[in-house]
Amino acid sequence: MIGKTEIIVLFSVLSFCSVKVYAAENSPELREPYNDRYCTTCHGTDGRGNYGIKAPRLAGMESWYLKRQLENFRAGIRGTHSSDREGIAMQPMAVQLSDSSITDIISWVGSWDYVATEITIEGNESLGQQLYIQCASCHGANGEGNEALGAPALRGQNDWYLATQLRNFIEGWRGSHPQDSFGQQMTLMAQSLQNDDGIKNVVSYINTLSRN
Amino acid sequence: MSRLVTRRELINLLGATGGTAAVLQAGSVLGLLPATASAAALDLLALGSTNKKVAILGGGISGLTVAYELNKRGYDCTVLEASHRCGGRIFTVRHGDLIDEIGNRQYCEFDDEPHLYFNAGAARIPTSHRSLLAYCKELGVELEVFIGENNNAFLQDDALASGKPLRMNDYKTNMRGFLSEMLAKSMSEQQMDEPFTETEAENLLSVIRSFGDLSEGDLYQGSSRNGYASGGYLIHGVQKDMLAFRDLLQSSMGRIALSAYEGEYGPCLLQPVGGMDKIIAGFLRKIEGQVKYRAMVAGIQVRDDGVEIAYDQGGARHKLQADYCFNCIPTHLAVGLDHNFPSDYIKAMKYVRRGEAYKAAFQAKERFWEKEGIYGGITRMNNSSREIWYPPHGIHKDKGVVLAAYDFGGGSYFTKMIQQERVETHLQDGEKIHSNYRDRVEKPITIAWHRMNHMLGCAARWRQSFSGWTHEEEQMYNILQAPAGGRHYVIGDQMSMNSAWMESAILSAHWAMQDLDVRVRSEIAK
Repeated sequence: MIGKTEIIVLFSVLSFCSVKVYAAENSPELREPYNDRYCTTCHGTDGRGNYGIKAPRLAGMESWYLKRQLENFRAGIRGTHSSDREGIAMQPMAVQLSDSSITDIISWVGSWDYVATEITIEGNESLGQQLYIQCASCHGANGEGNEALGAPALRGQNDWYLATQLRNFIEGWRGSHPQDSFGQQMTLMAQSLQNDDGIKNVVSYINTLSRN
Repeated sequence: MSRLVTRRELINLLGATGGTAAVLQAGSVLGLLPATASAAALDLLALGSTNKKVAILGGGISGLTVAYELNKRGYDCTVLEASHRCGGRIFTVRHGDLIDEIGNRQYCEFDDEPHLYFNAGAARIPTSHRSLLAYCKELGVELEVFIGENNNAFLQDDALASGKPLRMNDYKTNMRGFLSEMLAKSMSEQQMDEPFTETEAENLLSVIRSFGDLSEGDLYQGSSRNGYASGGYLIHGVQKDMLAFRDLLQSSMGRIALSAYEGEYGPCLLQPVGGMDKIIAGFLRKIEGQVKYRAMVAGIQVRDDGVEIAYDQGGARHKLQADYCFNCIPTHLAVGLDHNFPSDYIKAMKYVRRGEAYKAAFQAKERFWEKEGIYGGITRMNNSSREIWYPPHGIHKDKGVVLAAYDFGGGSYFTKMIQQERVETHLQDGEKIHSNYRDRVEKPITIAWHRMNHMLGCAARWRQSFSGWTHEEEQMYNILQAPAGGRHYVIGDQMSMNSAWMESAILSAHWAMQDLDVRVRSEIAK
């Protein structure tokens, strides 16, 4: 038979449970669940890149390259040099990504279609073609990239982003971290461009390389 | 090393370069005070049986103003807000609130009390902002006084008085005294060359003398304006010692001390009782059910016969068809959407730069500033935290919320730091003003506006040069203000020449609605 004591105990247990449920439902974390899929705020609709934030196109990016960059940002291997303005803006975005978040983001990015990017840089394409010859050894004759060499595709990327990264490599604002071996290769290779005209010309040549 | 100049040489220098105006820095960041107009009465056509759909992108105050006003005239309005809250940079943080800085999410732990809030963005209303004040009245938002200038607050600079904080009135009274002494001397010596009548010269001299509280012989010998050292009620007051002029000159903070409370930052300022977001709540009460939250705009297609908005909500992409669109999404985010804007419109959107601003706040376990004679107001420091604001409300209650840092324009200094480093910097800076600051404050929050999700900036910057707008900038401004395709309006404080004020956002919405009204009237007339 259930006596008073049992009822009191039962009631207390039930009250405690409902208090716990109420508290959980009202916890801030549940009112505003945390979601790592905030990339499009800066990187544009469907990851097509956004000049307003200088955040590059992600749609169509190789998943192995995206993974490496997110991990580099997370570890502070990229985006911590004081002159890398855009990198510094990106770095904290990656800092709290778990490995499973990175995997999820990569699959989300993979769902976006590549859409041709707008051309904003106009330089001398034939001079650029000459300069590109040595880039081709890693990035491919058509800018298609080479996973075995760790070189991403360049064709179809926002030209203003390519130009900024080339400048960053030349100055050592990107790629000088001791753990960034691919970046260090790039800082050497980029020296051949020498100046802003070189950057403009090679980027305008890359603009002519079609993704189709 | 530059050689020292005598006062006489300095005055001659001033005379040669055209007077005291030459001494003041060109391009004061405060700029000119915009003309105070009475609140604009919107003259918009009520639609009657005509049906017009309006899409409003962003739940900032300009968007809510449009929703509210067009709603009244029978337009069918929908507001799409990307985040979980409306208001944008009108953000009041309270117990349990989320601060959605990407990469540094915080939850506010202030006690759950009505007076313990922090206005993390918009924080003061100049009384010249008549349109905003008209809405406060119309929406029943209760207002109280906000205190900016407080002569008992502090001024601190490591280069001044060995880093000891000075009361504002000590600094100001003494600085004005010496300035006036110089002016008075220059007046009497140069009277012969100046085109003043005797009466004018006498009046000017008397202004100078009373400005600086000069003594006999036009000398500054201290003043009682910054209070007595002792006495003054029942026994004779003992005047405080003067501060030495050359000591005052070691710091450049004088520029701030004597100009910080002019223009839109000067008395009289107001704030809503209970938090700035009461204004947003006032608008929202009138447009119940017309706001979609967590609805992030993905595309804007302007067509001859309307506008199509694509947006993501609940994991799916939706379409919203409308006749017109009012867009207060920051242009640096809007430019990355799937749009079909004309190229000169896009160029203008790309030209507008996003600003950086940073604030931080603590809950104070006791209102220690009131024990030091400070009620409301702002202490200014020559360090990275720059300002401490004391709440004008909740006087003599147990606790209060203080603003611990405010960097308008250079906030990236703090965003490079992790949360603990930011807080530690503010504690060290505050300790220079109030001993035991560290022990008396708790529950820090930091707001880095250029990192806040869905905003990524504060506030929009048009002109590149302090000295004014270029012709090209004005052209871009006009292009962006006019509706793309006659249907898409950019609004918000970004669509103004005086960004970072709610009044500008509201006036941009009014401009756009008046323009819309002309188009709608002519459509209906056909």
